[in-house]
Amino acid sequence: MLKLDESLLGQRSEPVVREVERGAIRKFAAALGLDDPIHTAVEAARARGYRDLVAPPTFAVTLLPFEAPGLRLPKAGVLHGEQEFEWGAAICAGDRLTVTGWVEDVKTRSGAGGKMHIISVASEAVNQDGERVFRAKAVLIVTEEVEHAVGR
Amino acid sequence: MQSGDELGPFRFQVTREQLVRYAGASDDYNPIHYDDALAQSLGLPGIIVHGMLNMGLIARYVMAALPEGTQLEQYGVRFRQMVQPGQDLMVTARVREADAAAARLDVQLAVEGGKPAVMGKMTVRFPGALG
Repeated sequence: MLKLDESLLGQRSEPVVREVERGAIRKFAAALGLDDPIHTAVEAARARGYRDLVAPPTFAVTLLPFEAPGLRLPKAGVLHGEQEFEWGAAICAGDRLTVTGWVEDVKTRSGAGGKMHIISVASEAVNQDGERVFRAKAVLIVTEEVEHAVGR
Repeated sequence: MQSGDELGPFRFQVTREQLVRYAGASDDYNPIHYDDALAQSLGLPGIIVHGMLNMGLIARYVMAALPEGTQLEQYGVRFRQMVQPGQDLMVTARVREADAAAARLDVQLAVEGGKPAVMGKMTVRFPGALG
């Protein structure tokens, strides 16, 4: 069930360091059917001026903390309402990214399907050289059915 | 490229296998993407495609239609309707504004004959252009 402490809105999570692996980039590119070899072949990436395999833009989602201070989401059934990214420096294999997240906003609405919570979670990642690689905002929706589903 | 230009439609389907691959690759094991009975118990029509897979597929088709080396700078979407595996899907894009360095596009993914399921905006920077 949804646990929310509004006093922690806006507070940044402890930074988490995520290592970007070649295998993770290749698997992600394959799952999306991306055929640009900069995602799969190191030589091709280097020939285009990158230090190693380049992560596809939406790979950033694998680095996001959807949990942020004050928020504990249900394990199943959370819906994704909106997603935004703004990218900076390229994300390459071998990078060590420092990611932080925070809850920007929480609203509760009543509609035809019952009550729902609408939660905005923001995050930001910086690479080993201190360059920002992305900022992201996710809007997540937790319906009453999901909130009260037991044991999930 | 100029304002009003259209890209697409790019037509495809998402298979159940792709959902499983994407779940693994993105580390998203929300069961609404692989367990029909559980998805239905939560009020969904059955398993649905990950919003982020839809977002990534839109970017794939649109970026493939732009010059090699074009960078995605900003991209935001709203997920409006559920998308299910096996549906006939269509990605389209329309240029809002463009110059030699960059362009802004409106993008969408729709189920054929249906309402847009994912709508978004992208800003791209063309190769050789200085940030």
